Amino acid sequence: MTPTLRLALVLAAGLLAGATQAQMTDATAIVEAANQASYYAGDDGRSAARMMIVDGNGNRQRRQFTLLRQDVEDGGEQRYLVVFSRPADIRGTVFRVEKHVGERDDRWLYLPALDLVKRIAAGDKRTSFVGSHFYYEDISGRGVSEDRHTLVETTDEAYLIESTPRDPDAVEFARYRTRINRDTLLPMRTEYERADGEVYRRMEVTEVETIDGYPTGTETRMTDLDSGGYTVTQFRYSEYDIGIPADIFSERSLRNPPRDWLRRD
Amino acid sequence: MRHSAERIRTRLLLGIALACLLPGSGSAQNDDAGWDDEGWGDDPWAEDQTGWQWYGFIEGAVAPRLQSDPATDEDFTLAETRLQLEGERQLGDYTATVKGDVWLDGVEDGGRGDLREANLAGRLTASTDVVVGRQIITWGTGDLVFLNDLFPKDYAAFFSGRSDEYLKAPTDALKLSWFGPLNVDVVWMPRAVPNRFITGERLSYFSPRAGRRVAAPPRLDPRDRDSPGDDSELALRVYQTLDGVELAGYAYHGFDNQPSAQDADGRAYFPRLSSLGASVRAPVAGGIANLETAYYHGEDDRGDDPDRPNDQWRWLAGYENEPVSDLTIGWQYSLEWMQDHDALLDALSPEQRRYAPDQYRHLLTNRLTWQGPRQDLTLSMFTFYSPSDADYYLRPRARYRFSDRLSGTLGANLFGGEDDWTFHTQLEDNSNAYLRLRYSF
Repeated sequence: MTPTLRLALVLAAGLLAGATQAQMTDATAIVEAANQASYYAGDDGRSAARMMIVDGNGNRQRRQFTLLRQDVEDGGEQRYLVVFSRPADIRGTVFRVEKHVGERDDRWLYLPALDLVKRIAAGDKRTSFVGSHFYYEDISGRGVSEDRHTLVETTDEAYLIESTPRDPDAVEFARYRTRINRDTLLPMRTEYERADGEVYRRMEVTEVETIDGYPTGTETRMTDLDSGGYTVTQFRYSEYDIGIPADIFSERSLRNPPRDWLRRD
Repeated sequence: MRHSAERIRTRLLLGIALACLLPGSGSAQNDDAGWDDEGWGDDPWAEDQTGWQWYGFIEGAVAPRLQSDPATDEDFTLAETRLQLEGERQLGDYTATVKGDVWLDGVEDGGRGDLREANLAGRLTASTDVVVGRQIITWGTGDLVFLNDLFPKDYAAFFSGRSDEYLKAPTDALKLSWFGPLNVDVVWMPRAVPNRFITGERLSYFSPRAGRRVAAPPRLDPRDRDSPGDDSELALRVYQTLDGVELAGYAYHGFDNQPSAQDADGRAYFPRLSSLGASVRAPVAGGIANLETAYYHGEDDRGDDPDRPNDQWRWLAGYENEPVSDLTIGWQYSLEWMQDHDALLDALSPEQRRYAPDQYRHLLTNRLTWQGPRQDLTLSMFTFYSPSDADYYLRPRARYRFSDRLSGTLGANLFGGEDDWTFHTQLEDNSNAYLRLRYSF
């Protein structure tokens, strides 16, 4: 089916149903659209972020950082700069990522006390991001083609997608189910299951705001159901399409963070 | 004397206990308070900041020697309670930073202080950054092995059990960085800043002259290199990243950071040293590979003066990857190739010849790092092993973050080998185990 024909059919279906939004029927297309909405809003963006990490015993930790992002191409390569301001022992640490699709990311870490630019071997993306319950992959997105996607159910509000890994040995889950809002195309809840169907990990978007025309998940919670621990991430002062120059994503910004671009307007 | 040292140690232990019990008062950052809309002002760029922002930590550290050292009656390589304060202030496009440590030292018996940073940094033009003042500077691709990074190191701190960040000693410098098709860093140090080398005060070392391991007193006291202008040093780096491959060229004109030469009166001094080098770092097979080389041109380019260092060609190759989740393994091989070794041997007296370095010094290193799933616990092991010197240096370590404020580190510095005079074996009697507790605010 050509895209035009598909669009025409979708539009026709929508008109016939009298619905205000188009209904998508192709699972992979829905996941691609959700990926786009979650990780590729605008051509670039800036956001202040903070995390509260609560372990199973109720001990709390904090992380606070400002995140700059630039898309090289929609749905494809991206550049990230993450500048930490909290806690005291990682203040001034800067993390730079060149995200590639289909190959390993390039990552650098700047440690200010040693003035050291460390290059990090791109390892498992499903390991903790700065000690939180979020994985690197939760922050920067999981490749759509890494899983097989099935549309399980379509309700008035949401698409329910089930995804199974193409390479089961590379990940800790057997499958995950994602509830994607039909209006915003944001994944509002993702539950990761073991082979026996037990859900052990859950991501929920608990707050959404439309910023510069882009629906944005401004509060997200990741829960480890085994331990009871969780992390809440909040995004504030988000802005899109601010025109960050490509050379901001460089070694210069590791040693001397680009205040003009980090500053909130 | 011994009695008062014991008293100081008691105080230090009290200091550690105090560091653990400190309440979260007087601090700009609370662990969980401020999780409301107030807490967003902490980013230094959140809004235009006025006045100084202060940060710091209190740390208690002890490192008993694991054996007695015949050269000294000091049982500890480290016993201290330390306060670090760091102040930062925005001045237009510039940032002023002051970072200083004060500590009560149970090994050197008394109060000590160290100004680690006092600089002004910012954007001079759209394509030029500047840092002027006291600062820490690092470059090159090695992991705890330095070829083209000839900025001062503090090996006494590194070997005695202090935190890794103290390996880099501050330098007074003007650093200009230009960013264009090629990026260029130029560092001018008006006075030579040597390493904080081993003087015998905290750690014993091998003296070829004495033919045995020695400690202070007398303290190794080389001639200073501190006349501004005459004793200035210049370091240059040119670099660019092309498609994920980091390329760099380096040049240095200054002085050896170690007092590696002796004048006619037998007094140690820091000889002239110039170097040229290059490095490449790139992702290879899922890991990071690096290759670096440096040619050191010393004062004695014929090699026949044993009191002055000969030319050396140094090489380093490394590879690091994460074969299993949360486990990182790094390997390095380094070579120090003395250029006129035969001439050196000919010039040495028969009794000194045995202490002469080999023509080829081979060094292998391995770093294993494992992080727990929440990254609270980090276990690591760094191994230096030299097959040519037949010596080793092991750095096992466990670090635990109890909270965002409190962390504890337990580790050891273990030296050993065959011949008393090689680089690592000479430190054998300084082998220590350390415990550090740090409360950050």
